[in-house]
Amino acid sequence: MTGYLIRRLLQTIVVTLIVTIITFLLLHLVPGGEVRAILGIRATPLEVRTYSKEWGFDQPLYVQYGKWLWQLMHGNFGFDLKQNAPVSTLIWAALPRTIVLAFIGTGVGLLIGIPLGILQAVRRYSVLDHVVTGIGFLGYGSPTFFVGLLLVQWFAVNLHIFPAFAPSATSIGGILADPVALVLPVATYAFVAFALWSRYMRSSVMDNIVQDYVRTARSKGASERRVLWGHIFRNSLISIVTLLGLQLPVIIGGAIFIEVVFNYPGMGFLFYQAALNTDVQLMLAITVLTTLITILGNLLADIGYAMLDPRVRYT
Amino acid sequence: MAPLLEVNDLRTQIKLREGVVHAVDGVSFQLEPGETLGIVGESGCGKTMTALSIMNLLPTGGHIAGGSIKLNGQELTTLSDEQMRNIRGNEIGMIFQDPLTSLNPTMTVGKQIAEAVALHREVSREQAMDRAAEVLDLVGMPRVRERIKEYPHQFSGGMRQRVMIAMALACEPKLLIADEPTTALDVTIQKQILELIDDLRIRLGMSVILVTHDLGVIAGRADRVAVMYAGRISESTDTETLFNRPRHPYTEALFQALPDKAADAGERLYSIPGLPPDLVNPPAGCRFAARCRYAVDRCREEEPQLVSEVTGHEFRCFYPVGPSERSDTGRLATYNEAPAEAALAGPGIGDVLLDVSHLVKDYAVTKGAVLQRRVGWLSAVADVNFTIRSGETFGLVGESGCGKSTIGKLVVGLEKPTSGSISFEGKDLAKSSGREYRRERRNIQLMFQDSYASLDPRMRAGTLLREPLVIQRLGSKQEQLKKVGEMLDKVGLPRTAADRYPHEFSGGQRQRLGFARALMLQPELIVADEPVSALDVSIQAQVLNMMKELQHDLGLTYLFISHDLGVVRYLSDKIGVMYLGKLVEVGPAEEVYLRPAHPYTKGLLDSAPVADPGAEKAKVSEGVTGELPSAIHPPSGCRFRTRCPFAQAICADVEPPVQRFAGEGHLAACHFPLQTAVGDAVTASAGLPE
Repeated sequence: MTGYLIRRLLQTIVVTLIVTIITFLLLHLVPGGEVRAILGIRATPLEVRTYSKEWGFDQPLYVQYGKWLWQLMHGNFGFDLKQNAPVSTLIWAALPRTIVLAFIGTGVGLLIGIPLGILQAVRRYSVLDHVVTGIGFLGYGSPTFFVGLLLVQWFAVNLHIFPAFAPSATSIGGILADPVALVLPVATYAFVAFALWSRYMRSSVMDNIVQDYVRTARSKGASERRVLWGHIFRNSLISIVTLLGLQLPVIIGGAIFIEVVFNYPGMGFLFYQAALNTDVQLMLAITVLTTLITILGNLLADIGYAMLDPRVRYT
Repeated sequence: MAPLLEVNDLRTQIKLREGVVHAVDGVSFQLEPGETLGIVGESGCGKTMTALSIMNLLPTGGHIAGGSIKLNGQELTTLSDEQMRNIRGNEIGMIFQDPLTSLNPTMTVGKQIAEAVALHREVSREQAMDRAAEVLDLVGMPRVRERIKEYPHQFSGGMRQRVMIAMALACEPKLLIADEPTTALDVTIQKQILELIDDLRIRLGMSVILVTHDLGVIAGRADRVAVMYAGRISESTDTETLFNRPRHPYTEALFQALPDKAADAGERLYSIPGLPPDLVNPPAGCRFAARCRYAVDRCREEEPQLVSEVTGHEFRCFYPVGPSERSDTGRLATYNEAPAEAALAGPGIGDVLLDVSHLVKDYAVTKGAVLQRRVGWLSAVADVNFTIRSGETFGLVGESGCGKSTIGKLVVGLEKPTSGSISFEGKDLAKSSGREYRRERRNIQLMFQDSYASLDPRMRAGTLLREPLVIQRLGSKQEQLKKVGEMLDKVGLPRTAADRYPHEFSGGQRQRLGFARALMLQPELIVADEPVSALDVSIQAQVLNMMKELQHDLGLTYLFISHDLGVVRYLSDKIGVMYLGKLVEVGPAEEVYLRPAHPYTKGLLDSAPVADPGAEKAKVSEGVTGELPSAIHPPSGCRFRTRCPFAQAICADVEPPVQRFAGEGHLAACHFPLQTAVGDAVTASAGLPE
């Protein structure tokens, strides 16, 4: 397992390098170049030249890339000339928000979705199954911002139970200090997440419930409850864990609509802004971060898979 | 003594979308303590549903609609779920067909067995584990203390089935239900498992219900047999009587369809025409009438009841076959339509068509996800030599993992040999390339085991049959379609079948379709890899007959790969026996069967169950003990020595030379053959020349 992890980490480095090269090249294809993107179309050629010289944009691309990479390896994401702040400062202001929202939202979604999925599979084609399926379709069928707006309308505007805005703190501790303000964004997030996970769990349990080993467990005299929790549950989780790992980059990518509706600028919002303003440094940083998280998610999925399924052993 | 189990007029129904299936329809039988009852029948006859009904483990939609099941006088059908759970695994144990899928893959075998104990006994976790170790030891598991912590995938098929048996017997039930316990296993392992069940039955004083489709398995193991057809018992009596004096035409037909009964390879097998009836709307009258060669109008209108002429022998037929009413032979001659008896003369045997020489196939065993370092070789085929003459059938037998399918793949060109040559009509196939290669490929075609998996489910039969012609760009569309129609005629499928999808065919029809696909390019050699092993006996006979007929008509040559010795013997002129990549014996079919020279061949033949209770009882040989070693580190010298009863020091040091034995082209590689060699020893490196 250790050897396997080391190899996977080496892979990570290679993949990240390739991704950065591609992104770097792509982002330098912005019309007029990066300097234009920063200074705007009204800047004079002289201004562009001076600026390029000052910030090193006149050097060949591979030199620029080398310098950028060197800085990155030192943990320096660069300086955002557009927003006039270090890139890391911008990310650190957004990332904790996304993490809190995504993890609590996914957690709540799993907590509701998995038991519901199991229940649906056990009582498949019953009224309950159809009702939950219907709600689930509503969950991932309706646009998030619409769900968010509805919740705000009902619970904040009409009933005054929860605030319409998410916490404004930028540290994890600060956000968690205001749990009431988190309820609506998390609920919005979880509504979609639950739909996804209950659906996955339902089909996973249904795949397992017809397996021969389930009949064997019954033939031993095990009760339905024992069969479900002692045999089917673990086998059903195998596919869920894989999906969960693959879902990680999506989770981090942020739920931009929720962020907008609840005025909660996280990673999704940050990337959206960066793309809108052709903010090259910021986009590069976020891409690298997303790459790392994607690979990490895959790795976690594989490890979780190996933990749950003894047939999978990495050497 | 009171019977242990009494089943009376059991009716089990399964609700499906298309209607209610009367899976078990009025089945009654009794089981005495210590007795083995065999329930035999083809797929869909209700034998498994009968077994599952006793356990009340019916699939979704299934329920017991009527009748009674009494275990030791206690009615089981009226028990609550909880009371029934108390019976399952405690008083009745059950083992299933596929030991891999029947075990929970994420739980150690120890825990799975301990669970069965803990469910029915007031024991601590440790005590339950101790009991698990005890029963594993009982079923002959080596190194129990280590293996108890392993997961099912770490065991071989035979060992997994031992785990299943241990689990079923952990609470010492009075009744063991074995549902096709050995169908997924090799013959050598099958014999070991059947012997184990028998042995445990005596030691633990259990009764056994043995459900199987294999008449050979029943012959050697059951005291009494119930033959099921279309949800009913059509005949039941003691094993001896059933095999010697069957009264029901269905039972008789089943025996006649067995290839091992047709000793003379020229004889055509009797095949039961048609398919079993649809159990959603069972036919009026006798359920077998539609396929019965003796059926008269009365059979189709009125349903015969179970009657007995001699106590203990019941059958459901108005006009039973057998000695007490008519003479055997007269009857057969009168009613048997001509083709069933018509002998098929073998086509003329010509020159050498396929010459396999020093064939070697090693697969690299790799480690690591990125660099794929090679850590060893799996020796799948090791220096194999044989020739097939045109018009001949060469049967290749051996346990799974012996390399027989790899040879098939090498011959059709799906794999490249590591070394050695395969010559077809004198040309080395490995050396041809490009267009020439493609043209030569036409002459060798593959027929698959599982025609369901090997036919594209989204293609109509007509398209499937036309595809080889399209790929090889042969003829215009009209000509191709004409050929498709002709081919359907040849394999006995209606022309309308061209518009159907593979799933719309029955198993036997699909195998005909698979055969037709292989024949489309008018090949000379067909490599048939286990073509009938997924089929019921009666359907198997239909396919085998068709293969024989077409061989005769089209002058085909077969490389017939199978684990079923009876089928191979019936079809083959020559037989090759493989063991762990080596061809250990080759020779004329009859010679190899009757006078095997290699101990492995003999062991294999002794392991194969024969549908003859007398012969089965008379068997003293153990068959082949132990399990197939790994092909990554095959044993030195003779590869069979680790399981050979005659092995001596020399067997480990020196690879046995190939020697000639009585009979034309009868060769075997053994230091201590079962008969004296007649020819000069040919060195091992020289292989098996003709």
